[in-house]
Amino acid sequence: MLAKAQSTDDKKYFLSSEANAYSFSTLSFSDPYLSPMTYNGIGIGYSGSVRGFLTEKKLRITSVYKYNFNAGIALNKAYTSDILYLGGNYGWGIEYKLKPFQGLKVQVGGLWDVDLGMKNLERNINNPVNMDLSTNLNLSGLLRYDIPLWHRNFQLQLSFQTPIVGYMFVPRAGASYYEMFELGNLQDAFHFTSIHNKRGLSGDFTIVVPFRRSVWRFGLQLDKLRYKANNMVFDRSNFGLIIGTTMDAIRFGGTKKVVPQNFISPVE
Amino acid sequence: MKIKATLLVAVLVLFTGCMNDTITQPNTFKGNFEALWKIIDTRYCYLDYKHVNWDSIHTAYVPKVDTVKSEMTFFNLMGNMLTELKDGHVNLYSYFDKSRYWKWFTDYPTNFSSSLITGSRYLGTDYKIAGPFHYGLIANGKVGYIYYESFEDGFADQNISAMMTYFSNCKGLIIDVRNNGGGSLDNSKQLASYFFKVETTTGYIRHKTGDGHSDFSAPVAVKTAASKNIQWQRPVIMLTNRKSYSATNEFVCRMKESPQGIIVGDKSGGGGGLPLSSELPNGWLVRFSSSPMYDAQMQNIEFGIDPDYPVALTAADQANGIDTIIEKAIALIK
Repeated sequence: MLAKAQSTDDKKYFLSSEANAYSFSTLSFSDPYLSPMTYNGIGIGYSGSVRGFLTEKKLRITSVYKYNFNAGIALNKAYTSDILYLGGNYGWGIEYKLKPFQGLKVQVGGLWDVDLGMKNLERNINNPVNMDLSTNLNLSGLLRYDIPLWHRNFQLQLSFQTPIVGYMFVPRAGASYYEMFELGNLQDAFHFTSIHNKRGLSGDFTIVVPFRRSVWRFGLQLDKLRYKANNMVFDRSNFGLIIGTTMDAIRFGGTKKVVPQNFISPVE
Repeated sequence: MKIKATLLVAVLVLFTGCMNDTITQPNTFKGNFEALWKIIDTRYCYLDYKHVNWDSIHTAYVPKVDTVKSEMTFFNLMGNMLTELKDGHVNLYSYFDKSRYWKWFTDYPTNFSSSLITGSRYLGTDYKIAGPFHYGLIANGKVGYIYYESFEDGFADQNISAMMTYFSNCKGLIIDVRNNGGGSLDNSKQLASYFFKVETTTGYIRHKTGDGHSDFSAPVAVKTAASKNIQWQRPVIMLTNRKSYSATNEFVCRMKESPQGIIVGDKSGGGGGLPLSSELPNGWLVRFSSSPMYDAQMQNIEFGIDPDYPVALTAADQANGIDTIIEKAIALIK
C-alpha cells in the first residue's frame, strides 16, 4: 500500500503581519519633578508591531508584539530652557479576533508592556533628569474596515492601547537621584497604578493603501498619558502624522524552501 | 442593593479621581512673585530650622511688587527676598543676572592666601600636579601637603596612589580644602574613602515629603566606605575656612569620623542643604536647599562644622610668608 503524503497545496502557512511606521508629532510635557511649567515641542518616532497566531488550532487568537521609540525636544513658554526626551516601549499581548459584520475586523485583548523614558532638563541643579519607568497591563485593540475600491482592498484602521493596571516609578519632588540611587532611599518612589491615578490612550488612525506590491499606511497618531503620584500630576501628549508599511511575512527555515501557495494572515 | 450602590460609588470615585494640573501663576510680576514665594514655602528645607517667618516675608514684599516697573528691578526685589533665607545655596538665575547670598564668607576672615602656599616655605612653584590636586612635601619632607581647589574636579585612584607613594616617608598628611566652594558629593565620598578602614556612618540626609515646613522623610544614613585599593593610616589634617562650602562642608563632615582625621582652621562655611531647582513662569531658574544633611550625631551642618583646632591666619605671620593654619597642622603631625 502506498502512503500518500500531504501535498503543499493542502497545507496552510501561518503568516506574521508586520507593521512599521515613522511619525512626526507635536508634543508637550508636564513633569513637576523637573519644573512646574509645561514644555512644548516636536518629536519623531518609530513604531512597529508583529501579529501572529498563538496556535495553529485557534485562529481567532493572535499574539502581538508592539514596540516604539521616541525622541523629542520641548521648550518652556519663556524659551529659556528645554527638555530633551528619549523613550521606548515594548509590549506583548494576546488579542481575540471578531468579525461583527462584513468588512469589519476587530482584534481586542490585553497587552503587557514596559515603558522606559528619560527627560533631561540640562540647566537644573541636582534634578536635571527624571526617568519614566513603568510596567502596565493594557487594553489593546485593532479595528479594520475594508473598503474595496478599484479592484483593490483599501482599509481604515484604528489601533489603540490604554493602561489598566500596573506599577510605576515616580520620585518625591524633594528626593534627589543622589539620595535615591547613591544612598538607596527609594521610599515612596514606586506606585501601584490603575485608572484612579494613571490614564492614557495611545493609538493611530490610518488609511491602508495598497500600492503596487506594497501596502502603505498614512494617518494620525495620538499619545496621551496622565498620571499622578506624590501629589504631582504628570502629563505627556503628542499628536502627529504617521506613515508606514504593512506586510505579511513567513519565516523560512532555509534558503531552498519553496514559497508555499496557501497563506493565512492573522489580520485577515 | 446597598452593596451595589457602594460598589458603584467606589468605581465612580476610582475612575473619576482628580488629576488636575497644578495651578500655575501667570507670567506677570505678581504671578512670578507668587510662584517664587510658593516654591520656597513648600520646598525649601530650612524655614523652620532658621526660624524664618515666610508668611511675614510675603506680607512685607507683596506691596513692593506693585511698585516695580522694570524686569531688573523686579529681579533685584526677588533676589532680596531670597537673601532673607541667608543661604548660599539659594540663587535666582535670569538671563541678565544671578542673585546670591555671600555673607557666609564675606562677613568672616579670609584665612587663606594662595600666595603663601606657593611661597618658598611650602609648595613653592615647583609643586606636582595629579589630576585636580597640587601637592608636595613640606616641613623638611616630613609632611605631605595637598591642595584641592574644587570638588567639581574628579580624580582617579591612580592620582591618589601616586601622591600616597610620594608621601610614603611622611609622618602625616595635610589636605587643604580652604576656598574650596564644593562640587560633587561623589568626589567628596571618594576622597574620604582613602582615610577609613571600615565602612562608617558619617552623616544623615532627609528630604521634603510635603508642603509643610517640617514635612521630612526619615533620616537616611550617609556612609563612607573604605577604599579597597588605597588607605592612608597616618594622621590626616583638613584645613578649612569659611569658603569650604557645600560638598567641601560635606567632605569635612565625613572626615570628622575618620580615625586619623583632624580639622584645623576656621569653621567651614556650611551649605548643608542639598540643592534642587525649579523655575518661574518667566523662565527664571531658582535653586534652593531641599534636603538637609546632618553629621553622624544628627546635628545640622547648614551653618558649618567647627574645627578641632580653631586657628586664624595672623597678619604678622602672613607678612613673613607663614601660613598660621598650616603651621598648626605641621605641629600637630610632628
